[in-house]
Amino acid sequence: MRVRLEHVTHIYPATDESPPVQVLTDVSLEIRSGDFVVVMGASGSGKSTLLNLIGAVDRPTSGRLFLGDQETSSLPESALTMLRRQSIGFIFQFFNLIPTLNVFENVAFPLSLNGRGRGEIDGRVREVLDRVGLPHRATHFPGELAGGEMQRVAIGRAIIHRPSLILADEPTGNLDSRNGEMVLDLIRSLHDESAATVVMATHSDRAASRGDYIIHIADGQVTR
Amino acid sequence: MSLLRALVLRPMVREKIRTTLTVLGIAVGVAVVVAIALSNQSALRAFRESVDAVAGRANYQIASDVGIDENLLIALQPLWSRGLRFAPVIDIDGMVEASQTPIRILGVDLLSDIHFRDYRYASILSGTSAGGAPAPSPARYLDLFRTDSIIVPATFAAEHRLRLGSPLALSVLGHQTTMIVRGILEPRGPATAFNGSIGIVDIAAAQKQFGRLGQLTRVDLIVPGEEVRSAIARLLPPNARLERPSRRNERVEKMLRAFRVNLFALAGVALLVGMFLVYNTVLISILRRRKDVGVLMTLGASPGQIFAAFLAEGLLFGAAGSVIGIFLGDALAFLILRLIGRTINALYVTSEPQAIVLTPTIALVGAAVGTLLSLIAAIQPSVEAAHVRPSILIRTGLQQRVGRARRSVLAISAVLCFAAAAAVCRLPPVDGISIAGYLAVLLVVAGFSLLSPLIVTVVSSALRKPMRAAWGMVGQLASASIPASLRRTSIACAALALATGMMVAVALMVGSFRETVRVWVDQTVSSDLWLRPAKGLSNADIALFPASIVDDLRRVPFIAAVDPIRGRDVTYGDSIIAVGSGDFDVVGRYGNLPMVTPRSSQPALQDALLRKCVFVSESFALKFHKRVGDSVELPTMRGVERFPITGVYRDYSNDRGVVVMDRGLFIRAFQDDKINTVVLYLKKGVAPEEARKKLEAAFGPKYHAFAVLNREIRAEVMKIFDQTFVITYALLAVAVIVAVLGIVNTLAALILERSRELALLRILGMSPIEVRRMILLESSILGLISIMVGLATGYVLSWILIYVINKQSFGWTIEFHAPLRLIAVSLSITFLASILAGIFPSRLAGRIQLPTAIQGE
Repeated sequence: MRVRLEHVTHIYPATDESPPVQVLTDVSLEIRSGDFVVVMGASGSGKSTLLNLIGAVDRPTSGRLFLGDQETSSLPESALTMLRRQSIGFIFQFFNLIPTLNVFENVAFPLSLNGRGRGEIDGRVREVLDRVGLPHRATHFPGELAGGEMQRVAIGRAIIHRPSLILADEPTGNLDSRNGEMVLDLIRSLHDESAATVVMATHSDRAASRGDYIIHIADGQVTR
Repeated sequence: MSLLRALVLRPMVREKIRTTLTVLGIAVGVAVVVAIALSNQSALRAFRESVDAVAGRANYQIASDVGIDENLLIALQPLWSRGLRFAPVIDIDGMVEASQTPIRILGVDLLSDIHFRDYRYASILSGTSAGGAPAPSPARYLDLFRTDSIIVPATFAAEHRLRLGSPLALSVLGHQTTMIVRGILEPRGPATAFNGSIGIVDIAAAQKQFGRLGQLTRVDLIVPGEEVRSAIARLLPPNARLERPSRRNERVEKMLRAFRVNLFALAGVALLVGMFLVYNTVLISILRRRKDVGVLMTLGASPGQIFAAFLAEGLLFGAAGSVIGIFLGDALAFLILRLIGRTINALYVTSEPQAIVLTPTIALVGAAVGTLLSLIAAIQPSVEAAHVRPSILIRTGLQQRVGRARRSVLAISAVLCFAAAAAVCRLPPVDGISIAGYLAVLLVVAGFSLLSPLIVTVVSSALRKPMRAAWGMVGQLASASIPASLRRTSIACAALALATGMMVAVALMVGSFRETVRVWVDQTVSSDLWLRPAKGLSNADIALFPASIVDDLRRVPFIAAVDPIRGRDVTYGDSIIAVGSGDFDVVGRYGNLPMVTPRSSQPALQDALLRKCVFVSESFALKFHKRVGDSVELPTMRGVERFPITGVYRDYSNDRGVVVMDRGLFIRAFQDDKINTVVLYLKKGVAPEEARKKLEAAFGPKYHAFAVLNREIRAEVMKIFDQTFVITYALLAVAVIVAVLGIVNTLAALILERSRELALLRILGMSPIEVRRMILLESSILGLISIMVGLATGYVLSWILIYVINKQSFGWTIEFHAPLRLIAVSLSITFLASILAGIFPSRLAGRIQLPTAIQGE
């Protein structure tokens, strides 16, 4: 999926505790379909906001954002939901597995939402669990897994519905180096096996080296 | 203080919804208790003040249930010189013919009575004295002594449109008399008694007009000392007793005690549900602020300070809820008074309730109850908060699960509670109050509450597959999220289950009672017609027929048998019981008296006729531990007489206890041949409607008689029954409302706490509608589990209500009967309410801002 931003600015509105905060300023960029892009920047630079906007979690305050040929900034909420459900996979720093579902059910979650049949779900989940190396953990709950395992389950969940865009926000930020490497290898190889575009936010140079190219961001602006 | 501000005060202000719901929950609970206390006080104060106003300055009285010979006054005369003052009194109920309303007739010696009571005449027939006009000369008072003179309060005169010289037609003790209003009193002293429905006549006139020649109801006394009191005691005739005027109040209060305790117990349910609400709120506070608690403890806050801060939260909720509850209760009391006033009038004593007055004592009790219970509810979660290690509190993603081991401990405690409840059910009542029954109810409620985490876990797990099949991933997540927050959900569930359980229990108890009474009425009211001296049932005691009506009725060709009924209240030890009479021969041949022992009434009735024995009601037998073969001692005209008991029969008309005897025996014992009601059996083929018309035409003018059909009597009894229990349902509905508030509170708190999780679901592709549906499903599951537990609780509690509390408080045997439709309707309403409780939280969930909720990322 091709991603294109045209003069995107984003401001978080004022709350009781803080004044309005401008986190992105006039950002324009284009990511080609099938690219593995790394977004780098310091904490608070606007990386996560950029990923939220690309992932249709939030709308830009001004400017236009295209996913494929579709301008998402003007889509209604229901269309954004369907876009996230069908075309986007998310990987988070803190894994964000659903604690009340077991590993199998967590991975199956996007397919269930998409109304796939039980037979298809069973087959696909087993395939993905094999791919992420956790077939033996299918009935375990998140609380019973180690950090690296949890992130592998999250990766399984992000790819199960074969999205055309995968967003990973600091996927190794909460892992030790050995597990971090394993996760990065997995994301890279999954990208190579599919035609999905991957956008990964990180401030680790080692993680950044796995991408095709890097977009640097500082104080809400793309610098390189 | 800064700790309190950080952990309690600021969050209370910031989380307005949670604060409002909790305060409202406590306020409603306190309001119900305060309203019950106020209305009870008002209903009883009316009676107490009337007795005090009529007693005047008397510090003792010689009273009797059968009348006192006036010659006693001659015997008392020598004590006058030792400071004794005495006043003869005739104090009887009557009825104003025109309005068919009650009037109390006080016959006094108008000359000597000034020692005892204050009379201020607004006007008398021959002149006026009010407003500075010259006082009437003594000669003008003479008219008041005429045998047809009556003095009424100004309020009564205005209400009945009477002026000086107006005739006032009365029916008193079977005598129809027209008196002339010759004096009007200002509202003070006895003129204020019985809400002003009182008429004062000279004692000689009263004796003559109402057939009490030579007789007194009582003698009021001002006794100067113990020595004189002992001297009076020695002069007492065998059927009289020397007592303080307040004794009557005490007896009436005792008579109403079980009724009042039951009302308070029901009000307590709402308060108990409110306690669950506070427990849950404080628990939620602690869970939501666990990270802050961890940080504060790391910075040096002591466990004691943390404990005190959260306890203060419970205290603040309690205090705020109590203050609002007191004022809400004051407003609510008016409605409750109308409901319980009807019941007290129909079943116990005639008393017009007074205005509601919020006394400092009741306000204080309301505040204390609300605050104290809130404080108690906050103790356990506060202790828990104080004892958790800071490192655990700070950790993110802490799961507040109730461990398997803990669930087992709770389940074992529940079993112990049930066993203890079964054991205490066998204990006897204490002073007529079923303490054991109420304790058993509390233990059963505690048992089911302790069991609720286990039930919630088991049921939600069982529901997982069907929910998934019906609603897909949304259904599965809904069923999974309830055990995930077990502490909170199980408390909310226990509260709603408690309210539902009490509702089911009362529906079962009232339904069983109603069916038992219906069968009893069908069996007992087998006659064709009743002839009564007043319209309606509740006026039965204030108007009477003379004995001559029986002979007149026996001459009516279409009447097969006549059974004259007469009853009166009699003091029995510390209690007031009813002594009734009827024609045992007619009852044996035509009636159908439902018996406890022996099984058949006929032989026992014959035996009673032959051996001058009595029957007692089941409640009398239970209350006073009597059975067939024992005897009962009653104060009669001939002194205390002993009557053997040959039968125990069922009677649901009266919980004080009834002794019934044949009319002949009654007349001999009490020298009273008046009649309250005549029960008529018609000859075969005579249409009751026709007979009614003829009887009213023949007996209406002469005896002021009204004929009532069998079906009308039955309908009237069931109407009184239903009126009695309206208050019960109203109180339980309040408890359900409080419990539903608890569900709203819990779900809203869960939504706020799960905002990150819900945002994640939205990011992963769940639509706002699906999230809302999930929350509604969660509230439905909570509702479903609550009504399941409530149903089980209700059946167990109904058993205790019927076979322990009811039996010990009122002495009635009730056959179990389940009003399935009523239970289905109340359960459906509760279930619907629990779904509705999910609407507001589901809207909250739909409005979660995704970027804000996952900002930590």
